[in-house]
Amino acid sequence: MQLSITTTVNKISKARSAPEASTSLFRQSIRQLRKNKLAVAGFVFILFMFLICFIGPLFSPYADGKINPAQMHQPPSAEHWLGTDLLGRDVLTRLLQAGRISLTVGLASMALSMTIGTLLGITSGYYRGFIDQLIMRIADLLFTIPSLPLLFIMGALMSEWKVPTDYRLYIVMIMLSLIGWPGVARLVRSQMLTLREREYMLAADVLGLRDRRKLFGHLLPNVFPLLIVIGTLSTGGAILSESVLSFFGLGVMPPTPTWGNMIDAANNVIDFEKRPWLWIPPGLAIFLTVIAINIFGDGLRDILDPKQNTSR
Amino acid sequence: MKKRHFQALLLLLVLSIVLAACGSSATTNTQKISPPKETNSSEPQSENQVSESFQVDLSKVPERAQQRTDTIIVGLTNPSGAFTPYFTQVGYDGNVNSVLYTPLVRVDPNGVPEPALAEKWEISEDQLTYTFYLREGLKYSDGSPMTTEDVAFTWTLLHDPSYDGLNDVVETKIKGGQAYKEGKADSIEGIQIIDERTISVTLESTNATALTVLGGPILSKAYYGKDYKFGNLDYIKNLHANPITNGPYKLEKFIPGQEVRFVANEHYIFGKPKTEYFIYKTTEGDTWQFIETGETDYGSFSATKDNIEKLESLGFLNLIPNTASNYGYNMFNLEKEHLQDKRVRQALTYGLDRQLIYVESRQGAARLANIPSSPILWSYTEEDINPYPYDPEKAKALLDEAGWVVGADGIREKDGKKLEIHYLGSKNANTDIFIAVAKENYEALGIKFTPEQFPDFNTLVSKVDSGDFDMASFSTTIISDPSQGVSSFVKGETKGYSNPRLDELYEQGLATSDIEERKKIYHEMFKILNDELPVMFTTYTKSIIAINGRIDGFELNPLAGIAYSLPNWELK
Amino acid sequence: MRTYLLRRCLYMLLILFGASILIFFLYSLTPGDYVDNNLNLSDQRKAELREIYGLNKPILERYVIWISNIFQGDFGYSLAQQRPVLDLFQDYIWNSFLLASAATFFTWFFAVIIGVLTAYKQYSLFDTLVMIGIFAAMSIPSFFIGLFLIKLFAVDLKLLPPGGMITTGSRAEGWEYIKDVLHHMILPVAVMVLLGVGSLTRYFRSNMLEVIRQDYVRTARAKGLKERTVLYRHALKNAMLPAITLIGFELPGLFGGSIIIEKIFNWPGIGQLYMSSFTVRDYPLLMGFTMFIAILTVLGTLLSDILYHASDPRVKL
Repeated sequence: MQLSITTTVNKISKARSAPEASTSLFRQSIRQLRKNKLAVAGFVFILFMFLICFIGPLFSPYADGKINPAQMHQPPSAEHWLGTDLLGRDVLTRLLQAGRISLTVGLASMALSMTIGTLLGITSGYYRGFIDQLIMRIADLLFTIPSLPLLFIMGALMSEWKVPTDYRLYIVMIMLSLIGWPGVARLVRSQMLTLREREYMLAADVLGLRDRRKLFGHLLPNVFPLLIVIGTLSTGGAILSESVLSFFGLGVMPPTPTWGNMIDAANNVIDFEKRPWLWIPPGLAIFLTVIAINIFGDGLRDILDPKQNTSR
Repeated sequence: MKKRHFQALLLLLVLSIVLAACGSSATTNTQKISPPKETNSSEPQSENQVSESFQVDLSKVPERAQQRTDTIIVGLTNPSGAFTPYFTQVGYDGNVNSVLYTPLVRVDPNGVPEPALAEKWEISEDQLTYTFYLREGLKYSDGSPMTTEDVAFTWTLLHDPSYDGLNDVVETKIKGGQAYKEGKADSIEGIQIIDERTISVTLESTNATALTVLGGPILSKAYYGKDYKFGNLDYIKNLHANPITNGPYKLEKFIPGQEVRFVANEHYIFGKPKTEYFIYKTTEGDTWQFIETGETDYGSFSATKDNIEKLESLGFLNLIPNTASNYGYNMFNLEKEHLQDKRVRQALTYGLDRQLIYVESRQGAARLANIPSSPILWSYTEEDINPYPYDPEKAKALLDEAGWVVGADGIREKDGKKLEIHYLGSKNANTDIFIAVAKENYEALGIKFTPEQFPDFNTLVSKVDSGDFDMASFSTTIISDPSQGVSSFVKGETKGYSNPRLDELYEQGLATSDIEERKKIYHEMFKILNDELPVMFTTYTKSIIAINGRIDGFELNPLAGIAYSLPNWELK
Repeated sequence: MRTYLLRRCLYMLLILFGASILIFFLYSLTPGDYVDNNLNLSDQRKAELREIYGLNKPILERYVIWISNIFQGDFGYSLAQQRPVLDLFQDYIWNSFLLASAATFFTWFFAVIIGVLTAYKQYSLFDTLVMIGIFAAMSIPSFFIGLFLIKLFAVDLKLLPPGGMITTGSRAEGWEYIKDVLHHMILPVAVMVLLGVGSLTRYFRSNMLEVIRQDYVRTARAKGLKERTVLYRHALKNAMLPAITLIGFELPGLFGGSIIIEKIFNWPGIGQLYMSSFTVRDYPLLMGFTMFIAILTVLGTLLSDILYHASDPRVKL
């Protein structure tokens, strides 16, 4: 009987039943497939959401959103699959139309603040020194800005400049992403601070790799898991913060629906108790979107992470 | 994580409430004529009042409420602690002050003045001099006597140039008041102390509201006048926390943001109140959970079908319907040319389905308004008043008549200009409904409707001040005298609108105290306003007062608040 | 270290100075001012009032007056509440601090435990369920969760109070008083934890997953150490490192108050005071409070950086 070190280690590892220690090829392939499938599934779902929200309402007889006093507050029925709201409008149609805005806003603002925040965070964390201090101190300054007055002033300015009300939401979200990057930047930076001291970075240094190669080839992939987390969190946050903006009149004008303002409208004890068809659909929509993005992100990370793919 | 901070900004609806100073308000009736009966019961009894079969079931009183034997608790949005009448900036402090202080002259549920701390008063023939007679034995909560010195002191104090509060005493134009304010005199000529229970005050011009304005709460000179130096009222801020008062309850303790605790005042001139302790509990959000669990004994709810159903299902609450004394309106910018034509304004009113917006969508929690007077006031009338029912055909006809012809793109135009309505509203559920319906209604008429919403009242006001709008929604403060409802339409108060006949009638209405005469005058004013529509009148809101079935002695007085009957409340 | 601290302090002062300018101008430029609250005032009266409050002075002059007062420790008088701003802070901030500190403690506590467990049992049923729960909490606005819990626990089950900090009218003292407050804290803290634990858990889980795959963990296992030791002594410590920096950022949150939670639960905190002051444009209070939070924010950043260096010496200051 030949006892190689490898088999001993394997046996011990198996005995510990640590997740990545299962050696069976079958299990490994399932895991591989699963990771990729996750990414694919998540992506497909998001695509599906987009399609159904942009195209779905075209098939609905209620797409014009006309007010129907005879049908106020009706529970779900054959005519209105998700019931009607307080002005008699079809909830399902509004849900899909709302998705157009909420999805766009959520994903776009997440992408924007993530991009700016990551770039700045990586630069700051990697180069240290003056650049780091500069970026971080600007971030500090931005953090101290009180958001309420800023929002109000933005609203007043847009009113002064006669910005069409339909565009205001997007402008505000862009503005907010431009101010919202400090949070992302900080987290990325602190990750960078640890990563750059790792041994493999030292090795990369010794090898004489160029900065860009180091940054994008080594550091960024290791920051990726963090980015996934932040990304999914900020998408959900962005979709919901759109309803905050609506609350302040900086969002869309009635009667345009968004998932946020649909939930808002049901925010009182009576609607909450008696008319769940008003708030469950938009809540569920946000929930599913956030999950889909997360699954997609998780799958993506698993594919990209070298450690995870190593077979034992 | 900034995103979390962001979510933290999400607010529950902060109703933009126009600051209303509760407590004594001005009325104009004299005591000579018997109070007018509430003749106009055009209040449709059926819709949205409490159902006929509803009975209070005391067995359903929640345990917490059941256990209280000597305390009554009422919710109040957010008193700030400035418990000195005339010096409050926050409207809710006014509620607290009405419990701590009783004025000289009170107002009954019909708006008729009645004696409170003053046992009677006299008005001279020329209606310029008022003489107040204080009751015997008036005391402050520290036992010190209240005399006419205190009355003179209070009236004088309010003329100080650094006074920054909300009060109308200066508006009553006491003789010599302006001179005092400018520092030219060191007392006010028109105020004469006759003896320690009699005082007279002379005005420069007649003012039917003067009786209740001057008959407001009276501050103790010894306490509030001790450090008084002309031109400096800062010291008053230090006295807010420990007021010396003369009302049914004394301040026991103020816990900021939570409660205002009161204890019965044994020195109260009408005898100690029936319930020993009273508490105003700060309730910012929904009041349902407090009244459901018995934390509070009283709540006011919008009279929607939903609310009434739920209130009835709770079972232990007495439900009293109430209509507000103010009115809501849509302001027109009369400096804009297209709105200067009365026909356009009428068309905008005919062409708007107000019944749907204000009544049906609110499940009946409001009545349509067509004149600036609430149905609960004696001045209300429906005779000769155009109710402006929803009639798009009529609206179109009026617009055609006014020269606005439908253009190629469906929008009306005249002299090359398009008919556009730029609307401003604050952000709340009712405005959302308005915008949604108005958009459809006006587009059907060929009007381009451009709505904008503003995050809060101040922002809305500053935008309106800039003049960049066509229409904006507002509501008035509490109105206890019909003159208050029309004062904004006279003497050039509304920019771009002037009707000399109205100005004339307004003066007449204030010059006499005879109710029947005043009714005629105001009815004529209402007819004119109803026809010319300088603003579009919209609603009178309806609410339901829910009070714990265990409490006896409540009397509804929308003009004077709960303090009116509070001393008589007792727990069964 | 000392030079570093000195430099940072200098930067801090500069930032605070810049922040004060930003804050002052932002509030002054917000449309509508304190006098606009009342529609009924005549133009003449409005002018008189603006004179009294000093609102008609040129903006630069007002800034100089304000900032010089701040330096002397005088935060001014609240226009609406008519009390010194610092007094108001005393009254309301500690209430917010109470909620925030309890919530932060429990959030971190649960986040660490759940983060570690789900990382360890990645892909298990437990992991999946927890993830779903977290996403659900993230998708529903906070006021909804608050509404739901109040309805369930306070109104229907009558187990917990519907709001407020103490039982209305209670004259409890000492230990009884503390028990009453704790009883009232349960729901608001529960909601705050539910809302905050999600993101933190995800963060810890992600870090933990990273660390578990590191070579030194395998070595530790190969050495024959108990799994628990491996997890907590080696893996967790390293997973927590980046999180240390987050502690500093919690500092302003501890005193900042939560507008929504305080409103739902009628908690007498600084958050809802801020909101009601903002609606009426009570400048001294608004600016004083924002300045206070700005100071804490900047201090928090400094704290984070120092802590990070202290816990991971490889990180240079």
